[in-house]
Amino acid sequence: MSDDFRARARAWLAANAPRRAAGDDEAEAESRGQAAVIAEHKAFQAKLHAAGFAGITWPREYGGQGLTSAEQIIWSQESAGYDLPTGVFFIGLSMPGNTLVELGTDAQKRRYLPKMLSGEEIWCQLFSEPGAGSDVASLQTSAVRDGDEWVLNGEKVWTSGAQYSDFGAILARTDPTKPKHNGISMFIVDMHAPGVTVRPLKVATGHSPFNEVFFDNVRLPAGALIGEENKGWDAAVVMLRHERIAIGTMGSSRTSPLAFSTLRDLAAGLGKTADQGVRRELAELYARSRAVQLFALLLREETQAGRLPGARGSVAKLAGSDLGRFAGNVAADVLGDQLAAFDTDELAAVSTAIVAAPGSAIAGGTSEIQRNIIGERVLGLAKDPGVDRATPFNQLRVGTQREQ
Amino acid sequence: MTLILTDEEVALADSVRKFVADRSPLTSLRQLIASGEPFDAGVWKQMTAQLGLAGLTIPESYGGAGAGYSALSVALTELGAGLVASPLLGCLLAAEAVLRLGDDTAKQGLLPNIAAGELIVTLAVASSAGGQVTASGAGDGTVLTGTVSPVLNGAEADVLLVPADGADGKAIYLVQGGADGLARTRLTAVDHSRSLARITLAGTPARALAGDAAAALAAAADLANLALAAESAGAMKACLDMTSGYARIRVAFGQPIGAFQAVKHRLADMEKSFELGYAALRDAARAGDEKPGDFPVAASVARVLLASAYAEAAVDTVQLHGGIGFTWEHDAHLYYKNGLSNKVLLGGPGEQLDRLADALGI
Repeated sequence: MSDDFRARARAWLAANAPRRAAGDDEAEAESRGQAAVIAEHKAFQAKLHAAGFAGITWPREYGGQGLTSAEQIIWSQESAGYDLPTGVFFIGLSMPGNTLVELGTDAQKRRYLPKMLSGEEIWCQLFSEPGAGSDVASLQTSAVRDGDEWVLNGEKVWTSGAQYSDFGAILARTDPTKPKHNGISMFIVDMHAPGVTVRPLKVATGHSPFNEVFFDNVRLPAGALIGEENKGWDAAVVMLRHERIAIGTMGSSRTSPLAFSTLRDLAAGLGKTADQGVRRELAELYARSRAVQLFALLLREETQAGRLPGARGSVAKLAGSDLGRFAGNVAADVLGDQLAAFDTDELAAVSTAIVAAPGSAIAGGTSEIQRNIIGERVLGLAKDPGVDRATPFNQLRVGTQREQ
Repeated sequence: MTLILTDEEVALADSVRKFVADRSPLTSLRQLIASGEPFDAGVWKQMTAQLGLAGLTIPESYGGAGAGYSALSVALTELGAGLVASPLLGCLLAAEAVLRLGDDTAKQGLLPNIAAGELIVTLAVASSAGGQVTASGAGDGTVLTGTVSPVLNGAEADVLLVPADGADGKAIYLVQGGADGLARTRLTAVDHSRSLARITLAGTPARALAGDAAAALAAAADLANLALAAESAGAMKACLDMTSGYARIRVAFGQPIGAFQAVKHRLADMEKSFELGYAALRDAARAGDEKPGDFPVAASVARVLLASAYAEAAVDTVQLHGGIGFTWEHDAHLYYKNGLSNKVLLGGPGEQLDRLADALGI
């Protein structure tokens, strides 16, 4: 069965997913135009689904393949050498999608999952707010009941893909008189609904990979609630677990400007490989990169053997961010004073990657939050006292508080 | 083969762990420190005759178990966790060199006796700055002159295998422990669980072993990397468990100290470094058994990561225990010293990274 699946996956990939150098998605979108990239990704996702390789572990009645994590791992192994043009679906499938599989109603699953898998609808995730980052449970976006429906008001930030998403999974406060974790609900929001405004957010690299999203009296229909009312934090924990696992196990592209092989070749081209310090740093980068890949592989093997990674997904996330930072430092040493000023595209790509490196230690939960999770849930250390845990939300101070 | 352990490997780990707890707890290392003995002969007898650890990777035809590197690394991880003092590492490196050389007389004369624990043999290698030995004369008149230091169990070895440069290039020579002109000075080892010696040869009679010495030494160096990585992984896990356990029960400022991020985050980083190093160790063990061509790089990666991570973890273990962690009676210093030593033995981080850089074509 598994061998059969492997052979089928291998043959399909070889025929349909020609290997290509991974581009920087943002740069690619800027040069080719975003519409062209989305059209390509939608077409490829549809093909993938038609061939039986989308939603491998999802139930058949919702468009999935109804297979096990064994086939999922085989697929990961076989597809590792390809850069599948499905990037715009990554967030939707791994986070809101997996969360709906776990917590959604039958009606929600029938309505949304098949179109996610077939590449017809793109999803985003709306958690962070300007006043609620690491402490996301202090979010202020509100959803107020109006008959069977809710009315949504507020602002979300760092939303990847909001500009081309059809739906989003959003956290909003539904009861401000309860302590912060107990008055939150998760909803499905139609990103094309009246009152939704998406603005690109320009980051340190000069690119705009994220958005700010504003909700102005947006009506959420009955049936938009994911899980139970005021139990949104539980749903968020489920989604964040899927996020950490997805990020932790996705591995890094070999063609990244900060990958070992790229920097080794760059160093050779710049005549830096005779420098013992650079040689040693490159060797250490190889060792560290390899370990991050191997740990992701180990987690996948454990999952296959029935041992779920749980909070150890945070180890993978933290390790990946640390590696990015280390690689950035190695790249800086390889470039020397050419980091300060350059006039080639190759050096510009490395420079952008160095500037971008700190972002991965913030996105998807900061490294500090990952360390809390590892300390508390892997090592069993005492929880942070959480002085605000019992106070009603409407009596808390949240966000950035300047002196009056 | 997978990175996760097989049922047999889990069983082997359990039996070695139980052996360490029963026969070689840290209190017995303290007795060795007091007595000045390099290791407990009774424990060594059981490790070899009963558990078969010295012969794990020796083929069955030479009295060993014919098991792979993976099984060996599993056993060494448990021995490392308990800081078990023994001549095992020296014997493993010597056996590896003999196997790779293919000198039949040496194989038949040494391997069954190493496996049985009846002969302590060591490979007289150190870091690249560890001295030099030259060979002169021929046949029965072959003699060695020079110095190597520090050599694992050099003072206790019944037989030493000494690499030396002769007229025909480098070869490995067999020297009897009681040979004329052989001076063995036991050094003060920072790590209480290792016995290390300076070996001085002055016209010492020796027999050249047939075979490719460079290949044999390279194989021994790769095995040394795997072995030190495995021991370091076990010891690092012991530090992590000891320190997170203490952070759960030690209270200050009204809370268990593990609640403070200054403590929690350091332990989280320790857990991360351990997990990464352990994954690399498993990969090296797997490569050793299944993809010998990948083994040198994989073993080097595991050693580079774990030797440094363990040394860091050991000093953090002292720090996070506070004052009690710096006392003689606490076990933290035993790991700290072991970590310092593991990091530099047989070539430290710089030398390992240079070797890795060469292998990676940098």
